[in-house]
Amino acid sequence: MTRHLSVIALAAALGATSAAAQDTLTISVYSFAQDAYKEALYDPFEEICNCELVIETGNSVERMAKIEANAADPVIDMAVISSHDALSLAQKGLLQPIDTSRISSFDRLYPAAQDPIGDNMAVGYTFYASSIVYREDLVSIESWSDLLGDDLAGNVSLPNITGTQGPLTLMMLDKAAGGDASDFTGTISAIGESADDIVTFYSRSSELAQLMNQEEVIAAPVGRFAWSRFKSSPLPFAWADPVEGQAGGMNVMLMTKENGNEDLAYMLMDYWLSAEVQTRIAEALIDSPANMDVVVSDEVAENLTYGAELINSLNILDPAEIIANRDGWVEQWNTEVIQ
Amino acid sequence: MFLNRSEGLALALPAALFTTMVFLVPVAILLSIAFQDGAGAFSLQGYVDFFAQPLNRSVFLRTLKLGILVAGTAAVIGYAAAFCIVNLPATSRGRIFGLVVLPLMISPVARTYAWIVILGRTGIVNDTIVGLGLSDTPIRLLFTETAVFIGLLQLFLPLMIISLVSAMENIPKDVIPAARVLGANWFQVFFKVILPLTREGLVIGGTLVFTGALTAYITPAILGGSKVLMLETLLYQKVNVSNDFVSASVIAMILIVMCFSANLVLKRIASVKG
Repeated sequence: MTRHLSVIALAAALGATSAAAQDTLTISVYSFAQDAYKEALYDPFEEICNCELVIETGNSVERMAKIEANAADPVIDMAVISSHDALSLAQKGLLQPIDTSRISSFDRLYPAAQDPIGDNMAVGYTFYASSIVYREDLVSIESWSDLLGDDLAGNVSLPNITGTQGPLTLMMLDKAAGGDASDFTGTISAIGESADDIVTFYSRSSELAQLMNQEEVIAAPVGRFAWSRFKSSPLPFAWADPVEGQAGGMNVMLMTKENGNEDLAYMLMDYWLSAEVQTRIAEALIDSPANMDVVVSDEVAENLTYGAELINSLNILDPAEIIANRDGWVEQWNTEVIQ
Repeated sequence: MFLNRSEGLALALPAALFTTMVFLVPVAILLSIAFQDGAGAFSLQGYVDFFAQPLNRSVFLRTLKLGILVAGTAAVIGYAAAFCIVNLPATSRGRIFGLVVLPLMISPVARTYAWIVILGRTGIVNDTIVGLGLSDTPIRLLFTETAVFIGLLQLFLPLMIISLVSAMENIPKDVIPAARVLGANWFQVFFKVILPLTREGLVIGGTLVFTGALTAYITPAILGGSKVLMLETLLYQKVNVSNDFVSASVIAMILIVMCFSANLVLKRIASVKG
């Protein structure tokens, strides 16, 4: 009897393992707002697909390293990442082109999100604006060049060059100085000359929120996705509208090469990019929508990078430009700014 | 105790195997990256490349400087505190010693964040400076070498005091009065009597404080930020930002060499006859 039960248990276990292996989709995502994502995206999707989502989180470098290390036998089926990091993975041959016919709302995405890095290697799912958050009771911001001006000396923080916001800040400072975003050498030198007036170079928006709430810093460039951290503060923070405009960026979805789980990955992409889910995610103030059919209230829109007019006005740095120049920027930054 | 040596070795085998598998082997694999070129052949190019960069050199020198400063200052303050503690009555000694040990029971993260409250623009120090009219505006204390130095000293001073108290408790009670009776001033008492008799404690405390200061991550990261990089924070950046495991491995090796060198130098100093 015991032997029979053991055999049945083993068979059940093997069956369960086999079923789980068939119906598991592993995705790699940013680690922020995972509880909200679970409610708005993961749980509803698992009910529809009758599958299990395995969520891997971490910063971009960690997640890209994992995709690269497992290229021969991918453990990640689908990932969301910045457009320039996606381009970097594509250039290493780690991605497969996306069959856009399998994404029903593809035509309803903003044109910039449909093929952001070329060859259909990725599709944009969210935009973000970047501008300057500042204490409106202490200072006014008219231009990106104010960041290096006398009024903010000793009270300003800039993003580190190695993060997503770093290159965007360089682009806008270059634009404010009359540049055409083709060469940031002079801008990095200018930051180096003002390095003593910059409190610190932050790496994460949560770090900046802490600095500003402790009144160590009164102005800094940051992505709009972090605005809720400042808006809920008792201190009077404002979002600048500089004369040079706002910078912008995009996060994208991608599919790892030969992962063998394409059907489920396409099902998730299709679901994630649908107007229904993009609206739910936007209303939860997680991500700004890339689907043009999303309609949200003015109150919600105020917290997001929302609407064609705003999205089309963003100064977006070419991902290829970032990939091609990043090493040089970091080297000059380490020599002239950090040191 | 054992009838034969193999019985003793058999008992130690599980611990030895565990340590080898989960510590020595992974560390050896990680460190070996620093001695390989792209093709996997032995190479010291990683070290050449590391020290060729001015930023890395300045971070190395800053780490060494802060490590020496923290260990040196901890030794000066630690000797005074330890001398005071060992000369207290037994009851008071226990209480004061408990206070010295207390910070070690609090997370380094909590202790370091406390310094933000103290050293920040709206912190106690700046409130006092502005209140006393010493400055019209708050002065920059956070994200400076001074902030990192203060944080590290506060973090590791108890280790020096504990080591020196243990050493001083073993000094015979009458040698210091004897030295004084024979005409030695306090300066001579310290260098001719106390220091030679507490060398071992100084070596242990100095090694703990120096290596602790070198390898601390949280305190330099919070109080120094990216403008006051130390080797440990640079190592984190190499792994988590640049995905540059070769440089990270080189830094890890440099830190290990610095720690062992500090111990050797301190032992050497301790072995010099007074």
